[in-house]
Amino acid sequence: MKNLSSDILTEKEEQPAMESATPISGSEAVIRSLIEEGVETIFGYPGGAIMPVYDALYHFQEKIHHILVRHEQGAAHAAQGYARITGKPGVCLVTSGPGATNLVTGITDAMMDSTPMVCITGQVFANLLGTDAFQEADVIGITAPITKWSYQITDADEIPEILSKAFYIACTGRPGPVLIDITKNAQTALMTREFAYAKCTKIVSYRPRMQPKADQVEAAARLINEARKPYLFVGHGVLISKAEEELKAFVDKTGIPAACTLLGLSAIPADHPLYVGMLGMHGNYSTNRLINEADLIIGLGMRFDDRVTGKVTDFAPHAKVIHIDIDPSEINKIIPADAPVVGDAKEALKALLPLVEQRRHDSWLAEFKELDKQEYEKVIKDDLYPEEGQIKMGEVIRRLSEKTSGKAAIVADVGQHQMEAARYYRFSQTDGYITSGGSGTMGFALPAAFGAKVGSPEREVVAIIGDGCFQMTLQELGTIWQSELPVKIIVLNNNYLGMVRQWQQLFFDRRYSFVELKNPDFITIAKGFGIDGMRICEREDLDSALDTLLESDKAFLLEILVEKELNVFPMVPAGASVSAIRLE
Amino acid sequence: MEKLYTICIFTENTLGLLNRISGIFTRRRINIESLSVSETERKGVSRFTIVIKSDERERVEKIVRQIRKIIEVLAVFGYEDHDLTYNELAFFKVDAEKSAGVKELLEGYKRAKVLFEDQRILIIEKAGTEEEIYAFFSRLKPFGILEFVRSGRIALPNNEKGLAQYLPEVDWEYYM
Repeated sequence: MKNLSSDILTEKEEQPAMESATPISGSEAVIRSLIEEGVETIFGYPGGAIMPVYDALYHFQEKIHHILVRHEQGAAHAAQGYARITGKPGVCLVTSGPGATNLVTGITDAMMDSTPMVCITGQVFANLLGTDAFQEADVIGITAPITKWSYQITDADEIPEILSKAFYIACTGRPGPVLIDITKNAQTALMTREFAYAKCTKIVSYRPRMQPKADQVEAAARLINEARKPYLFVGHGVLISKAEEELKAFVDKTGIPAACTLLGLSAIPADHPLYVGMLGMHGNYSTNRLINEADLIIGLGMRFDDRVTGKVTDFAPHAKVIHIDIDPSEINKIIPADAPVVGDAKEALKALLPLVEQRRHDSWLAEFKELDKQEYEKVIKDDLYPEEGQIKMGEVIRRLSEKTSGKAAIVADVGQHQMEAARYYRFSQTDGYITSGGSGTMGFALPAAFGAKVGSPEREVVAIIGDGCFQMTLQELGTIWQSELPVKIIVLNNNYLGMVRQWQQLFFDRRYSFVELKNPDFITIAKGFGIDGMRICEREDLDSALDTLLESDKAFLLEILVEKELNVFPMVPAGASVSAIRLE
Repeated sequence: MEKLYTICIFTENTLGLLNRISGIFTRRRINIESLSVSETERKGVSRFTIVIKSDERERVEKIVRQIRKIIEVLAVFGYEDHDLTYNELAFFKVDAEKSAGVKELLEGYKRAKVLFEDQRILIIEKAGTEEEIYAFFSRLKPFGILEFVRSGRIALPNNEKGLAQYLPEVDWEYYM
């Protein structure tokens, strides 16, 4: 069954953007299509089944920048970092079989965190498909559940149209990863018609709703105007739709306290008077506790992840729920919505703004501030301003935040350091926090950080990585070295898989089962990759070490030996209600 | 109470789509009771008819919305039995030597007939709902059933709409 219908069902702009008189190869068509899409950087790794495309790329090095990673997983995470900071799709180019399967973790991560990505994988010759040929893997089958769309190209003539669909699908609606598998014969064959690229603008079977329906917006506005204790959850969707200005206007007018999800951080500046903190298992005390006091919850571009809701049946028992999301399948998935609004976060806010009344919720806001005092006394003060003992993760983040005025892009890995970075960096610039949220992929940060640096060279990019995570992808130091990417790397080393250790301490009676790490000398390793580094363990060295890191005009690794058995608090125990959040 | 739900999915005719659709059921550990796929009245459009059991309508609604997210899916509808006209088809193979009285049994049924017959066997077709087919099965059982096969359900909703009415903006061509 060949796709007979794509011509009928895909509408295209009839503007051949680039034409060539002589037929070109499928491989050249791939590269030219990428150029037509405005792709400036590819993260990739060559190999047998993608060599023709790499050969074509050789002739276009002036137009497309290629970054050679050290492992395909690194390419995927780098593409994610690039996409998250630029809003443009990240592009990966890898070979068949193991090259493609090494992308799988990154593709899953991008799917979970709605990150636009186009992965191009080589594949064996079409006549060998299904024969267990050398480096053959059923990549379409393997990635079907973790891609927004995938397609196998077996004919060079299909290339421009399929790639234009790939970019359109990856970037529109709720963004996500798309995988295009190209058999080697399609790469080497000449196209039988002239290369003409038309950007895809519409697919009949795929029509994401941007503009919310008026009646949905009106119903939501009514609930907002009636609420006495409304509470806004700001998610990743706000950053994706670049709705920061609209969000600020909405919050300022309605006076509604706003908390961010992990991926929504930096959508509203940390010093905004109505910003009340972070949601989630290790979010703030007030932000969790008061969910169950609110009479209206507004989920904006977020998906009520289990780390946010805690025990669902005990979630927000007194609240009506407005759920604004571009993905209709998120509505009622976890938390039933009294007023669903399907649409883009920016468009929804624009539509709501004239309908909501100017309000202040001072006494309700004061309830947050009151609980904040308890958290400060029990947790924050000692995390940020410890006077003795080993260096704490929290104080590192606080000083980093002060030194960068909250304007750096923090790329955090997964675990305690991720939570401490999220909690204590005072974000003052949008797209300031890039991490693996839904998937929780250890090893994400190092490659994502250089991907972000490629996407935003002017911005200070600081990777915050734990000693466990670092060893999952540390070969990417080679990429950073070769491509001369001035990424600042902080390894917070506690010689433990800290978050797992914390759970073992709290819920498994301190049975520390395989969480202690015998670590290599990270500084020597960095030096082996041509990257300068420094290790500190004393509080008095922290300031100057951070200055050295930030003042370096090249990549730099700062390893900080931190308190070994630090626990991240507050904490909502797994499976418990958000109101059961613990301060100790 | 556990009920049958019929999910009708209109899709582009694309390779690998069955894998994507079935994956949504697998992930949520929902067993597919029956499946049938065919071309529709419109060119390039396939129709999947999938029957599942569920004790919660809400669960089915979630599945429907997730299927809708698949790029090549044009439209998805979930129905309960009273919304639909539906049927299945079954074949039964019976040993000819033991089949005395089978033809008399068939006379009592409107939609049962012998499709093939020789000295060794009879192949009997029975159309109807699942219940009707299994009722027939138990009547035929005393004669000895060598083989039995039942098709997936096919169903059309009892309303005045087709794909062209659901997606009027597309210039649909008839399949043939």
